[in-house]
Amino acid sequence: MLEYFKTDWSAMTTSDWVGLIITVAVFFGMLITFWRALRPSKRKELEEEKYKILDDD
Amino acid sequence: MDTTVKPQYNDGVVKYLAVGAITFLVLGTLMGTFAAAQLAWPALNFDIAEITFARLRVMHTNTVIFAFGGMTLMATAFYTVQRTNGVKLWSNGMAWVTAILFTIGLLLVVVTISLGMTTGKEYHEQEWPLAIAIALVWTLYTLNFVMTIASRNKETHPNVYVSNWFFLGMMIAITYLYVVNGLAIPVSLFRSYSLFGGVQDAMIQWWWGHNAVGFFLTAGFLGIMYYFVPKQAQRPIYSYRLSVIHFWALMFGYVWLGAHHLQYTALPDWTGSLGAVISLAMIIPSWGGALNGMLTLSGAWDRLRTDYILRFLIISLAFYAMATFEGPVMAAKTVNALSHYTDWTVGHVHSGALGWVAMVSIGALYHMVMKLWNTEMYSMKLINFHFWLATIGTVFYIVAMWVSGIMQGLMWRAYDEYGTLAYTFAESVAAMHPYYVMRTVGGLLFFSGAVVMLYNVIMTIRTANARQEAGVAANA
Repeated sequence: MLEYFKTDWSAMTTSDWVGLIITVAVFFGMLITFWRALRPSKRKELEEEKYKILDDD
Repeated sequence: MDTTVKPQYNDGVVKYLAVGAITFLVLGTLMGTFAAAQLAWPALNFDIAEITFARLRVMHTNTVIFAFGGMTLMATAFYTVQRTNGVKLWSNGMAWVTAILFTIGLLLVVVTISLGMTTGKEYHEQEWPLAIAIALVWTLYTLNFVMTIASRNKETHPNVYVSNWFFLGMMIAITYLYVVNGLAIPVSLFRSYSLFGGVQDAMIQWWWGHNAVGFFLTAGFLGIMYYFVPKQAQRPIYSYRLSVIHFWALMFGYVWLGAHHLQYTALPDWTGSLGAVISLAMIIPSWGGALNGMLTLSGAWDRLRTDYILRFLIISLAFYAMATFEGPVMAAKTVNALSHYTDWTVGHVHSGALGWVAMVSIGALYHMVMKLWNTEMYSMKLINFHFWLATIGTVFYIVAMWVSGIMQGLMWRAYDEYGTLAYTFAESVAAMHPYYVMRTVGGLLFFSGAVVMLYNVIMTIRTANARQEAGVAANA
């Protein structure tokens, strides 16, 4: 298993690093977004939004 | 919020785009049905270069995706952004310029493709002058949408409703994807060569190609869903928080999927694996979104018996769920080895295009026509008739392509006891004939439904206009 995940870091090109950084940033971005949307203290505030379009016209 | 005073919205351009979208739906499905018939009966090519299958199929995809789909997205975005933000369009003039130029541009796209002018890049066949023009028009559309949101009264509308997020995500993603994939070196007015070469070109092409599906045909139409399902059902969306999760998961996830179109090619193996893994992960947010829309009807399912427009909207979500399950399964390498290059892919695309995109658009367009002309539809029975034509037509189409595609894949990989291919390619083509006929019948049913819709909408508008004129005359 360790052999499978072994990475030759010295062989990483600029493109590889850019891709890796974006991937990790996206992962944490998703974690933060999901935490912000799902925390119980935000529930009432967020769910109130859904009623606003019902009488918009 | 003061709910008694409503702003006078800029609805003229929305009316134009809505009628334009329905017209292009009729034209696009006619082209598709004729192209399907050409595969069943090749004599229908008539040896006329401009309408041979190779060109007609691309004219069909451009008409249904960009003309019908694009005009639907413009109509619904301009309609909903005003209402959800309680404000007129930032620039009505710019909206009209956008709508007119978009129409002219797309007509030129179809004409140039019929004349054989093409980049050869799927869903990006427009040669460079038209591609630049379309990108500029798309930028005007995006700018107007963003500025309309920005010009809202922040006290009465402090937050931006989630449908606008989906529309905006779609606009931004499509802009950079379309521009990057279109980078090319022109050698004449209607001939250019891609800036990228070899496997890089293929990767960029499918990075755009799958995201044309993921953003143009999914995110944008989810914007439609998140506004029109609650409005037609007269109930709030099931969970606003789920819609937020759905949005960000789509925005973060979709851009990774393109490589699953290039399994078993010169592309590095890990790239295809990554595309397949993220594709499978995307089932979760996609189904979450589909359930969010469907569960909006919780406790009011009986509405489906009487509200034919709601039927279009809800069945579109069933097809959305089905297509977003089938796609990831087909992205997995083992299944892809059987399905790729076969009619199964064509069937999958159409379960999304007919079942999801067209059905949700049709529901939204019927809803808008009644609101924009302030009237009931000319015939509700015709909407019901249209619903069944569209549903049966879609099922005919995708079942035919499932059977034909799996049969193709199995015939191509079959070996006899000596290790040689069991069937010639021509034998596999001959075996497809009954299914190509069945697909044509499905397309014909769907096209007939579009004609019924156009007739119903024209009669609705004529009736509404006549009533308005009679009212004016009575008051004079």
